[in-house]
Amino acid sequence: MKSLLIKMNVNGVDREVLVDPDDRLLDVLRDELNLKSVKEGCGTGDCGICTVLMDGKPVLSCIIPAFQANNHKIVTLEGLNSDPTMQKIQQSFRKYQAAQCGFCTPAMEVVGWHLLNTEKKVDKNRIKEAISGVLCRCTGYYDIVDAVYEVAQQ
Amino acid sequence: MKAETVEEFISELQKKAERGELLYIGQDLKRLDDLEKVLGSPVYTNDLLPRNALYARLVLSKYPHALIKGISISKALNYPGVRYVLTYKDVPGLNESSTIIPDRPLFAFDKVRSTGDIVAAVIAEKPTRAKEATELVEVDYEQLPAVFDPLEAMKPDAPKIHENGNIIKHVKVRKGDIEKGFQEADYIIENTFRTQHQDAVALETETAFAVPKDDKVLIIGSMQTPHHVQAAVAKVLGWPIDRVEVIQAVTGGAFGPKSDETPYDVASIAALGALKTGRPVLMSMTREESMKAHTKRHPAIITHKTGVKSNGKLTASKVQIVLDGGAYASLGVLVIVRATFHANGPYDIPNVWNDGYKVYTNNTYTGSFRGFGAPQAIFAAEAQMDEIARKLNIDPLDLRLINMLRPGSRTSTGQLMDESCGLPECVEAVVNASDYRNKRKQYESQNGTVRRGIGIALLHHGNALGPEGNDYAYIHLTVERSGKIHLGTGLTEYGTGAISGLAQIAASVLGVPLDYFVIDRPNTLVHHETGPTVASRVTAIGGNAARDAALKLKQKILPVASKMLECNVDDVVLVDGYAFCKGKEGRNVAWEEIVKEAYDANIELSTLGYYIAPECKWDPETGLGSPYNQYTFGAAIAEVEVDMETGQYRVLNYYVAFDVGKAINPQRVRGQILGGTVQGLGYAMMEELVHKNGYVVNPNLKDYYIPTSLDIPENIQTFIIEKAGSIGPYGAKIVAEPPIVLPAPAVRNALLNAVGSGVNSLPITSEKVLNAIKSSRK
Ligand code: FES
Ligand code: FES
Repeated sequence: MKSLLIKMNVNGVDREVLVDPDDRLLDVLRDELNLKSVKEGCGTGDCGICTVLMDGKPVLSCIIPAFQANNHKIVTLEGLNSDPTMQKIQQSFRKYQAAQCGFCTPAMEVVGWHLLNTEKKVDKNRIKEAISGVLCRCTGYYDIVDAVYEVAQQ
Repeated sequence: MKAETVEEFISELQKKAERGELLYIGQDLKRLDDLEKVLGSPVYTNDLLPRNALYARLVLSKYPHALIKGISISKALNYPGVRYVLTYKDVPGLNESSTIIPDRPLFAFDKVRSTGDIVAAVIAEKPTRAKEATELVEVDYEQLPAVFDPLEAMKPDAPKIHENGNIIKHVKVRKGDIEKGFQEADYIIENTFRTQHQDAVALETETAFAVPKDDKVLIIGSMQTPHHVQAAVAKVLGWPIDRVEVIQAVTGGAFGPKSDETPYDVASIAALGALKTGRPVLMSMTREESMKAHTKRHPAIITHKTGVKSNGKLTASKVQIVLDGGAYASLGVLVIVRATFHANGPYDIPNVWNDGYKVYTNNTYTGSFRGFGAPQAIFAAEAQMDEIARKLNIDPLDLRLINMLRPGSRTSTGQLMDESCGLPECVEAVVNASDYRNKRKQYESQNGTVRRGIGIALLHHGNALGPEGNDYAYIHLTVERSGKIHLGTGLTEYGTGAISGLAQIAASVLGVPLDYFVIDRPNTLVHHETGPTVASRVTAIGGNAARDAALKLKQKILPVASKMLECNVDDVVLVDGYAFCKGKEGRNVAWEEIVKEAYDANIELSTLGYYIAPECKWDPETGLGSPYNQYTFGAAIAEVEVDMETGQYRVLNYYVAFDVGKAINPQRVRGQILGGTVQGLGYAMMEELVHKNGYVVNPNLKDYYIPTSLDIPENIQTFIIEKAGSIGPYGAKIVAEPPIVLPAPAVRNALLNAVGSGVNSLPITSEKVLNAIKSSRK
């Protein structure tokens, strides 16, 4: 039986979830809260595709024990799907065909959204820096950078 | 259509009608499958898992070569949360998980041959419980002598890994008179090149889950070849294949390993687990399991001996390629064929003698991976060209211009190049864009600590399967009453957008906008077995089947439209979702109306398109003939900057051109070039799955580096050349694989230009560059 009760605000909704001590934030988001945009690519903190926002900052949900998220605010792509900036990013990803296999796409979009929401002026180098923690094996990054850059210019 | 008035609308229809069947060919139409991806919708395998599922974890071999004296699972079975432990004893059918040569058991039973071998799988309520319990599976091993160097493994007294000796496959090319060729030469240049294990690192690992359904099993997984997975699972279960239903979920990257044997493993283990426990079972590899147990790119040891006249004309090329196959044959028996046929590079050489060997060792096994033997072969061939140029003291570009394939010349297997050989145009594009000649001159006299270099590499790439199998495809088109068109096929999408390209071709033939199409998920019980989705062959081969299906559908639609329009069938034109009668454009009917009319008239609207490529003929003893129907060509120029004190370097500029015959969707062609180039830069500069005495030293993404967004060249320029090929739809050639091939030789040759000495092994680390700098100072 799951033993710990944690409280989180997830995508704007207060949730209470029972977790095991060895559950990761990633497991709780995916398995308990059904937020499947959060992907696992390594489980060791090295690929970035499990990135979510915790208290407004990008974190790796695969290396954060679930109980550490107690009393924190978590945002995933599902929580941003109706945000106008995120919608622009998504449209831009489609325009540039920046989602190939799409497995890195949610994390790329969340990181891109966070960048555009926290910094006024961003150039392509800044975008490259910001997404450098998220691996993509399909696109070679160029189309992703261009997609985010186009929104940055609007 | 954005038309303000009826007149405008009609004139746009007329303009588009002039494009005929080419209506949407060559246009950057968007892909049909990315809405769900950008929204983060639950479409990948692990997202679809039923809630009551169990999880499997693997027990991998502890030794690279050992007899199994006994396996005890009782402690693991008693661990909290564990529901079952699978071993070879649980296999009701054939304990086999192999593609071509049946040399690999699903579960090791008598012995293990590598540290990637699967001995058991623990199935538990949680992945963590399963993982913990893997430690409790006790295997009694008796170690055997092992061999890790493929050259050692080829010797007669080497430890035997399988019954029939360690050479799995020997491929030959024998053209002309090699000894005469060397006699005619003014210089003979010999070099040895080495390449490393590369891991594909699809961001989604190999994964599948199985759900028991009465006397059947349903498998949903990440894979390139669902019908092959179906057959593999049926074999393991000892069932007729119809009782196994396989659906390919949206797949998070593939790159070749997902067409090889690992998808069989995960699907079979999930299926066995599901049948034993009566519950859904997920076998989703951890990154570590994947990097140990799946197939990687073969390391190669390649020796070149080349004869050349002082005027630069090549007279003879003798190449030996030895691929480290690891413990099992896999699709690698075909990889060595492609490697051997491409071993001399894209050059017309009168006398050729190639030997390619795929060899068993006790390293983890190697197999299919984007490029399929070409990255190793072309790295060596193109490095050798620069070494030859250095010896003759001529520019490497000039040496290539003298010898490269062009219309009228012949490949190493004697295949005649026709007008579809666009290699000269590729070279011209990158040479001009990079200002190669001037830069070469400029970099001749550099003294500072930071120096630059520029280098070139070329390739040819035999299209589609060629000697690797029968090249056919089926495409189903089914029109709903609403007018929506379903495209169904056993060919799979894993990121390239190629399946959307099939719809683009069908849309173009039918004159219906792309957004009328939906792509059905590949399902083995619904779609025909259609050959593997490998060798970048979806567009070139599947495209013809899509065209065929669309033409057949058009034959059903036209008479209906002709009646509705009171127009001669031959004068009916389909454009952008409308039909009109030539000369009477004002009166038109919409696609939906025609479809409804057809259904009301009892005409069903579904067709099956089929295509099989002409048979490729070559002599297996000499390799001579035409092993491929058509070739893609490419050229790349890299410009690097090196720190002469540390050996650290970066790629500043990269110019790359491919002759793709016809770019059906140029934006996606570019996407493949960019993605393949960066994966190829990883291969060139940083990636190595290090094996030490048969153990993988870095099976994780912390110690195995792949390029990040900070590692890519600032400036990359791509060029598309279109010299129509003979078999692809509208002349299209394949494109997904060749881009990964060129970065390694281009970067290597640019570094040679910068520092005056070449690095002959991959990856080209700063340490190796520093050694090259030191040796050139001597
Ligand atoms: S899954 Fe979390 S960093 Fe890779
Ligand atoms: S699109 Fe496949 S990993 Fe980025």
